Amino acid sequence: MGDENTALSEADARHLLRRTGFGAKPKEVDKMLSKYPTRGEAADKLLKFKPARFRPGGKDMRARRVSWFKYMLKGKKGLQEKMVLFLHDHFATNNETVRDDLQMANQNRLLRRNCIGDFKQLVKEINLDPAMMDFLDTVRNRKEQPNENYPRELLELFTCGVTDFAGNNNYDQEDIVQIARAFSGWRLGNKDEPFLDENRHDFMSNFPERGPKVIFATTGGFGGGGRAFTTLGEGPTEIEEVIDILFEHTDSDGKNTIARRITRRLLAYFGHGGYATPTPTTIAAVDALVTESGFDANWNLGGLVRAILVSDAFYETAAPAPNGAGTARSVKWPIDYSVTSMRLLGMKVKGKDGRVEGGTGQRIVDHLEDMGQELFDPPSVFGWDWENSWITSRTVLSRAILARDLTVARGRGATSFRPGKLMSLELTDPTEIVDAVTGVLGVTDRISPTERSILIDYLTDEGASASIDLQDEDVVERKLAGLFAVVMQSPAYQLH
Amino acid sequence: MAISRRQFLGRSGAVAGGIFGASLLGSPLNRNAMAMTMGDRYLVSLYLDGGNDGINTITPVDNGGSGNLRSDYEAARLSGSGGIRLSAGELLVPPGPALVDPNTGAQLGLHPGLYGLGNLYAQGKVAVIQGCGYPDPSLSHDTSSTIWEHADPNRSGMNTGWLGRHLAAHFGPSDIPAVAVRGSIPGEFNQTATSILTVSRLDRFNFPYDSSNGSDSVFRRNALMALSDESLASGQAVQSQVGAADKSTLLAADSYPGLDGTYEDERPAFDQIYGDLGTSSARDLREVAKVIYGVESGVPNVDARYFEVRNGGYDSHSDQGGGSPGGRHYNLHEEVGQALETFYADCADMGVADKLVVLVWSEFSRRILQNDSGTDHGTQGPMFVLGGTVNGGVYGNHPDIAEASLQSGNTVYSQDGSNPYRSTDFRDVYGTIMKHWMNVPHPTVLSDVLPLDVGDPNEFWTAENFDMGFLP
Repeated sequence: MGDENTALSEADARHLLRRTGFGAKPKEVDKMLSKYPTRGEAADKLLKFKPARFRPGGKDMRARRVSWFKYMLKGKKGLQEKMVLFLHDHFATNNETVRDDLQMANQNRLLRRNCIGDFKQLVKEINLDPAMMDFLDTVRNRKEQPNENYPRELLELFTCGVTDFAGNNNYDQEDIVQIARAFSGWRLGNKDEPFLDENRHDFMSNFPERGPKVIFATTGGFGGGGRAFTTLGEGPTEIEEVIDILFEHTDSDGKNTIARRITRRLLAYFGHGGYATPTPTTIAAVDALVTESGFDANWNLGGLVRAILVSDAFYETAAPAPNGAGTARSVKWPIDYSVTSMRLLGMKVKGKDGRVEGGTGQRIVDHLEDMGQELFDPPSVFGWDWENSWITSRTVLSRAILARDLTVARGRGATSFRPGKLMSLELTDPTEIVDAVTGVLGVTDRISPTERSILIDYLTDEGASASIDLQDEDVVERKLAGLFAVVMQSPAYQLH
Repeated sequence: MAISRRQFLGRSGAVAGGIFGASLLGSPLNRNAMAMTMGDRYLVSLYLDGGNDGINTITPVDNGGSGNLRSDYEAARLSGSGGIRLSAGELLVPPGPALVDPNTGAQLGLHPGLYGLGNLYAQGKVAVIQGCGYPDPSLSHDTSSTIWEHADPNRSGMNTGWLGRHLAAHFGPSDIPAVAVRGSIPGEFNQTATSILTVSRLDRFNFPYDSSNGSDSVFRRNALMALSDESLASGQAVQSQVGAADKSTLLAADSYPGLDGTYEDERPAFDQIYGDLGTSSARDLREVAKVIYGVESGVPNVDARYFEVRNGGYDSHSDQGGGSPGGRHYNLHEEVGQALETFYADCADMGVADKLVVLVWSEFSRRILQNDSGTDHGTQGPMFVLGGTVNGGVYGNHPDIAEASLQSGNTVYSQDGSNPYRSTDFRDVYGTIMKHWMNVPHPTVLSDVLPLDVGDPNEFWTAENFDMGFLP
C-alpha cells in the first residue's frame, strides 16, 4: 500500500507528469525526482497554483479554439488545463447549439477559476451560466410549461447520475418535474445577466394543484416525505436550495451520492477506464478517496485531486512495458495527443488560425475535429466518450495524419520539425537512434523489446543499412522523420 | 472459434470478381457461415439521434371507427404561435398500402416533411411499426439509446450491441463486416471480436505516408502492421483493441479509398443527386452506396454487409415547428425522407433493392403534451423498415394518447394481450430482421442475441414474435 510518503520511481514521475500535464520531457522528470521525490511532495507541487483568469480570445469560435489550444501548448499550468478539460466534458455545453462564442469563452473561464475549488459552488454557478442556460433551455422554462431539459441533466450528468453503485435509481421523473418548477422563469438580460422573471416563475399560488415543491420522496435518504426546497421562501433562492439538497443525497449504501460519483469519474479520468464501472475494486478505491479527501463535506476539487495523485489506484497505469493482461492502460484524449506531441517536438502552430505546417497544412482545430474532439463542441450534453471510444478507424487515420504532418513540416522556425534540437544527429547506431527517439517521445519504457526491434527494422530498411547517417538530410527526412511518425502512429503511443 | 469470411476467401483462392465463386460455395463449412451471416444481403441502421417525435411522424388524421386518436392529438398539440399541431389537411396520406391504425381504424398520415419516405411507402416498400418501446422506459437519452443499441431494457449491464453480438460470433479481429458512417463506433456494433470501420468520407481514407518519400511507405506500412500485431497479441485489453483498430485501418486504407472514385466515375447521375440534396444524411447514405457498389463490383477485401448512419437534431425541447416547410422537425423529416428515397433508387438501379433492408429508429419518442414550443422526452414511438422485399403497411398499434391514460404526460407501455393499444417490443422488430433477413435460426436469436425478460407478461417481453410479417 502506497501513500503520500511513497517515493516516486522514474516511471511514476513520468506517469504523474503525463497525466497532470501534456507529456513529460526528460529534464522535467529529472527535476521532479530530485526536488519532489515523494508522491505527496510532487502532488503538492503540481497543485500549488492559483487558477488563472485566462479566457480564450478571438473574433469567433474558431479563433477562441486556437487561443485555448495555444494556451495549453505553452504548458505552464498543465494540471489546471487538465481539470478544465475534465469539467468541460462534465458540464458539456456545445457551441453548435449555443451559437455564442463569448458565452462559451466565459463558461470556459468559469470552469478554470473553479477548477480546484468548491465543486458545489461551481454547480450553483453553472445553474446560471448563460451558455448553459441557453444550451439546456433554462431560458425557455416557464411556469405554464416547465422545460425539463436542464433539471434532467443536472441530476443525470452533473451531480447524482441515474443509478448508484448498486444499480438503484437515484431519483425519479417526479423529482425532475419538481426541479423544473424551481428553475422556471430564469432569463438573461441584455448583458447576459441572469434574472428571475417572476411572471414566468412557478409560485405555488399559481398552481395550487401542483402542490408544494418536494424532491426525493422515494430516494436519497431523506425519509418518507422527501425534502421541500422552498423553506427559504419561494423565488430566486429555490435553485440554490435544490443544489444544497442534492449534495446531501445519499445512495442505497448510505454514502453521499455526488461525492462518490464525481470521485469515480475523476479517478477514471486520471487513472484508467477500469474505474468507469462500479466494480468492488472501484468502490473500495472511491470510498477510500472520499474519506481521505473529505470531499463529501468540503467539496474541494483540489483536495480530491491530491488524494487521487497519491493513491495506488492512480499509479496503476504507471507500470512500464511489456503490457500483459495484468497491466492497466488508458487512451490519450485527442487534445492530449496533439498538445503532447507538439510540446515534445518543440513545435508551434502558425498564426491566429493555428495552422500546422506540413502535409495537409490543416488548422489544428480541424485536426482535432477529425480526431473526435472539437473543443467547445462536445457531441452532446454527455460529453465525449472516453478510452477505446476515442479509437476508431477514422480517428486512427486522423491521428496518423497529424503525426505525419508534424514530421514533414520543413523549415527552420518553431512551426517546423527540427529533430536536431531534440536529439543528437551524431548518432549512427540504429538501436541508439531508436532509443533516442522513443526517449524524446516519452515511450522508451512503454514499448516492448519486440516493438523496439520492429522500429529498428523500420529504420534500417529491414536490415539493409547497418548504420544510419543522420548528417545526410535525405536520411533525416526519409527515415528519422519517418521513425518519429511511426512511433507517434503506433498503438503504444496512443496510450497512457 | 468462428472462421471469418476473409479467411475463406484466402483459402479458396477467390480473387476480385469472383467473391461468390463456385469453389467458395462448394465447401459445406463456408455455406454454413454464409447462411448465418445473411449471405449477399445488406442491412442499414439509421438512427434518429435525440428522440424523434413519433406522433408528429405518424399522425392520426381522424378518429377512425373505434377511437379518439385525432381528438386526443389535437388536445395535446396546439395550433397557433409555438404550436406544433399538424392539421389533417397537411398530413400526407400516400397511395399504396392502407396507412391505417390496426386497432382503432384511424387513418394515419405522414408528417408533410416526410414526402420522400411517402413516395417509397406508395410503392409498398415501407413498413411502419407503431408503438415500439420497452417496459419501464428511461427518459434519458444516454440510457435509452444504450438500451436500444444493446437491446437491454432490463439494464442487465450487457455491454455489447445487438448486431455486435452477432458479428462477434462470425468474424475475426481484422475483418470488416460493418461500416459506420460517423466518427465513433455505434453502440449497436459494440463488441471486441471484430473490426468496425468508421469513416466519414471514403476519399479521405488513405493512410498518410510521406508522399515526398514514397519509397519509404512500404517500410512504414510493414512496421505499423507489425506493431499492430504485437499490440493485438499483448494481452492488455486496451492496447489490444487499439492494435485491432490500427490493423483494420491499415487494411481498409488499401482498398476503401478507391471506392470513392469508382462510384463517381461509374455512377455520376446518382452521385449528382445526393450532392444536390446537400444534406449530411444524403452524403452519408452516398458513402454506404459507394461501399455497396464496391462489394457488388467484387473489389478485393471490401465485403461489408452492415452499415450504420445517424442523423442528429431530434431533441426538440423548443422551436420544434409544425407542418410548414422550414421548421426544425420539418427539415429533419425532409432531409431523411429525401435521402432514403434517393438511396433506395440508387440501390434499385444497382440491382440490389431486393438485397437491402433499412431500419429506422430513435431512442424514444417525445412527450404527448407539448411545452412552450417543443416537446420533452417521451416513451415509445414508431420504427420504419424499408427495402425491396419489405411487405409495406402498418404493423403494431398506435399508442393511446388520451390525456387520462398518460403517465407524467407519456404513453404507457403495455404487453397485455387484452389491451387494444398493446405496445410493440422493439426487440421483436430486431428479431424479425435477424430471423427473416439475416437468416439466424429462431432459437439462436433467442439464446445468443435477444434473451427474453422475466417478469409480469403483461408488462415484460416474455413471448417473442420474430414473425411480425414485414419481411417474407
